[in-house]
Amino acid sequence: MNNFSLAWRIAKCELRSGIKGFRVFLICLALGVGAIAAVGSLSRAVTQGLLADARFLLGGDVSVRMQHRPIEGEQLNLLKSRASKVSSVTEMKAMAQTPNNRALVELKGIDQHYPLVGTVTMLPSGPLQDRLVFKDGAWGAVVEQGLLAKLNIKVGDRVRVGEAFFQIRAILIKEPDRVASVLNFGPRFMVSAQALPHTKLIQLGSQIRYYERILLPTKTTASDFIKNLGQHFPEAGWRVRGPDKAAPGLQRFVRRLSLFLTFAGLTALLVGGIGVLGATRSYLQSKTSTIATLKCIGAPGGLVFNAYFLQILILSFIGIMVGIVMGALLPFLGVALVHNQLPIAPIAGIYPLALLKAAVFGMLTSATFVLWPLAQARETPAGNLFRTNVMPLSLWPRWIYIGFIFSGVLSLGALVIFWSQERNFAYWFVVVSLVTVVLLRLGAVAIMQFAQRVPRPQNAIFRLVLANLYRPGTSTPSIVLAMGVGLSVLIAVALIQGNISRQVEETIPEQAPAFFFIDIQPDQVTAFDKALKAIPGAHDLMRMPSMRGRIVKINGVPVDQVDIKPNVKWAVNGDRALTYAKSPAKGTEIVAGKWWNENYQGPPLISFDARVADGFGVGVGDTLTLNVLGRDITATIGSLRRIDWRTLRFDFAIIFAPGTLEQAPQTHIAAIKADAVAEPRIENSIAKMFANISTIRVKDALVAAGKIIKGVGAAVTATASLTVIAGIIVLAGTIATARAQRVYDSVVFKVLGATRRQIITAFLWEFGLLGLFTGIVGALVGTFISWAVIKHIMAMNWVFLPNQVIMTILSAALFTTLIGFLGTWRALGEKSSKHLSNE
Amino acid sequence: MTKANQTGAIELENLHLSLDSDAGQVDILRGINLTINRGETVGLVGPSGSGKTSLLMIVSGLERATSGSITVAGQNITQANEDALALFRRQHTGIVFQNFHLVPTMTALENVALPLEFAGKSHAFDAARDQLKAVGLDHRIEHYPGQLSGGEQQRVALARAFVTEPTLLLADEPTGNLDGKTGDHIMDLLFDLHSRKGTTLLLITHAPALAQRCERLLNMSDGHIISDELTA
Repeated sequence: MNNFSLAWRIAKCELRSGIKGFRVFLICLALGVGAIAAVGSLSRAVTQGLLADARFLLGGDVSVRMQHRPIEGEQLNLLKSRASKVSSVTEMKAMAQTPNNRALVELKGIDQHYPLVGTVTMLPSGPLQDRLVFKDGAWGAVVEQGLLAKLNIKVGDRVRVGEAFFQIRAILIKEPDRVASVLNFGPRFMVSAQALPHTKLIQLGSQIRYYERILLPTKTTASDFIKNLGQHFPEAGWRVRGPDKAAPGLQRFVRRLSLFLTFAGLTALLVGGIGVLGATRSYLQSKTSTIATLKCIGAPGGLVFNAYFLQILILSFIGIMVGIVMGALLPFLGVALVHNQLPIAPIAGIYPLALLKAAVFGMLTSATFVLWPLAQARETPAGNLFRTNVMPLSLWPRWIYIGFIFSGVLSLGALVIFWSQERNFAYWFVVVSLVTVVLLRLGAVAIMQFAQRVPRPQNAIFRLVLANLYRPGTSTPSIVLAMGVGLSVLIAVALIQGNISRQVEETIPEQAPAFFFIDIQPDQVTAFDKALKAIPGAHDLMRMPSMRGRIVKINGVPVDQVDIKPNVKWAVNGDRALTYAKSPAKGTEIVAGKWWNENYQGPPLISFDARVADGFGVGVGDTLTLNVLGRDITATIGSLRRIDWRTLRFDFAIIFAPGTLEQAPQTHIAAIKADAVAEPRIENSIAKMFANISTIRVKDALVAAGKIIKGVGAAVTATASLTVIAGIIVLAGTIATARAQRVYDSVVFKVLGATRRQIITAFLWEFGLLGLFTGIVGALVGTFISWAVIKHIMAMNWVFLPNQVIMTILSAALFTTLIGFLGTWRALGEKSSKHLSNE
Repeated sequence: MTKANQTGAIELENLHLSLDSDAGQVDILRGINLTINRGETVGLVGPSGSGKTSLLMIVSGLERATSGSITVAGQNITQANEDALALFRRQHTGIVFQNFHLVPTMTALENVALPLEFAGKSHAFDAARDQLKAVGLDHRIEHYPGQLSGGEQQRVALARAFVTEPTLLLADEPTGNLDGKTGDHIMDLLFDLHSRKGTTLLLITHAPALAQRCERLLNMSDGHIISDELTA
């Protein structure tokens, strides 16, 4: 019989005794694999849902968007000639007003073909177009319920938008092409395209988005159509989207969220790996006499290794399969529970690739973590195996096994990065995970050293407690590592979320203006300035001309041929806001070059965002060519400015020197800071005097942003809690495997005169201290991670938030004590005589 | 726990022990009456399953009798609760087992100091060190049980049993796991410590020679004491 067959026979014999000792092993693997499989499947379900809904979200097969000016002339003719049907939609922000209230709305003007796909659901139901016609002296409007509440109106009431009056004819329940945006500025206000000119809001330079939604003939594919458009009008400045980019913002959001959730799942699997290692080690220790016997009768180390490795592989396979089944089924439940709260309908299903990835992660983790104790058992002489309590499997494995372990870790890291759609994040995740494990291991060593070196307490119980923390075979390292990873993640997530929320809720409001105003017409600026300056409590008014332009060339090279860093690609995707100024605004930070003379009248010169310039690979003296309303303007970069957009400071990436844009069609935008009491007056006054000017309340936007941060934080925290659950399972497993030892200890203690209270006190203190120390180590590591992420990845100010950290440390101590107690109190009830008899 | 008369170290009256098993009730001890005087050395012999260890467990308060009365060192422990029994053991008894029953994760010194530490004695480690020296293990005090030979482990167990200076020493086949020479050495040590401290000794053994070293010999069979005689 060859080595493998014999190993297989031994493995089968050993497995006959069942999998009782492998419960923790199986749960750890199943939980980690299940989490990754569930997140992967759910992410695919959402992506598939997006794809399936793509035509609805686009409003057709293809959507073409232009900012500030409608698609007309040859461009529109081409669209119509290639399409089977075209529908025009116009969108903009506007103020809806009643005599007493006003609200910012998302105004949408639709033509008679809208919607090309899907249906609009209203209450009361009926034909959409009929609701929007001019009747009884007013145009019709269909609006979202939220507006009725904001303006305190009902269906049938009248509302003013710009210079036109609208009667609310129905409540909008579902709009097929409404994509949930990360930031919504107001409820939908849907009107007929014919009504829009009556509002007088359609002004040159106003912030208006014009869409042409296209239905294609059956033989034309969206990609061919888009390619053809690009060939005909390479510099049209429109944004064309096909089904693969139906909701790019939402797709990006889902991708990022699933990335972080996958990381949380991987962390749970990492903790599971520690549980797998502990379970394997304790299993092998329980098998010492078998292994020793096998070795005594001539079994080579390799045979022993193979026999037990085969067992572990079979068990891993079982654990992974359980995880895969869980991960495949959970999304069905998740989708059923939350489908009403999602902007799209996810398609729950079995996604083999997502499941396969989770299985590979599980198998690699299991194989990597079990190698060490298996290789130790292989090397340990039979004699030593009989003395494992004081000589736990402590030999170094052969180099080849260390090499395998190293390869396993490397492969896991490489796969995490390779399978991630955002490799930069994945790379950081791998680095942070490795650093965390190393720091926690060092933390465990520090705890053991501390317990060993602290002066011996007078009280015997405390001495016992401290000694138990560092004795041979102590569970300190595995508990610190398993619980520590979960606690580090929780604290890191809490501190990162806390810091971001603090930035949004406290820091930004201090620096940000109270209101932004858009679409101020040039002939309104004097009256506008005067009106605001007259309001007590309003201060720091900033107003600048604004127009849109698209960067088409960088140093004379078309942008699509320039290697631009991904983080600034947004700057060349469509139009950007432009302005011009004689002098720099207060607080401008110029980092290269210098600002122009106030009376500058030379060739086009710009001041540019330093971060975008870095992403473009340009500096002072280089040129950008901008297409402004169809005219190309090549301007030289005269200076670079550092702009922190997160402060919501009123700024522009591109500012022209005087002499270039003054004659271009333009509107003005403005910002003002205000005391809280002045805010309602500002809103009322501007709304009454200038019906066309939209007022954006920064506080509302911040509240919306805050909600999203909290929502994302809650999702990540919920998944990160899996890591803690995995840690608790490992903790419970570690305590359970040491139960026999605890029973024995307590029996011997009783023989020697220890009371039940003394024994319970010793156990409670031991677990309490271990939990407390683990909490402190986890807090230190988690705090360090959050500092590194906030300071170096997000480049924000980091603040220590003690409440969350203290709560987590105390919870860790409490939980560990509780689980430790539950796992050991029965040891006290054991009959002494059973354990002391000579048989 | 109540005070009884002061005459005997151990007084057992009509002691019964029955255990329930799948096969029905098993009577382990069937009406034991026994008095052992202070300072006496008593050998307890009998075939396996005769009830020797059960008797020792009851005397040490580690097992509860089904009926009867147990008075040890002047204290009636028949109805004592767990904590009172722990206190009783701490104050009056030292126990040595065949399997040593040392705490494997504690050094020899820590094992020996343990009962004194439970009793809250501040000199626990000094006393433990002295006791280990007395059994000839002062050079092994920081060793763990797994690093000691069987004889050395039993010497640690002896040191631990004597460190509290108990009035009663209970030994359950203390040489059962040792070779003859080591066993002899351990027994010399046991009797030496007994004679120096004046401890009452109840020794369970299968070895007739060992039993003969005791002043009195009890023979048990099927839960009864079938003979009680003085040795020559």
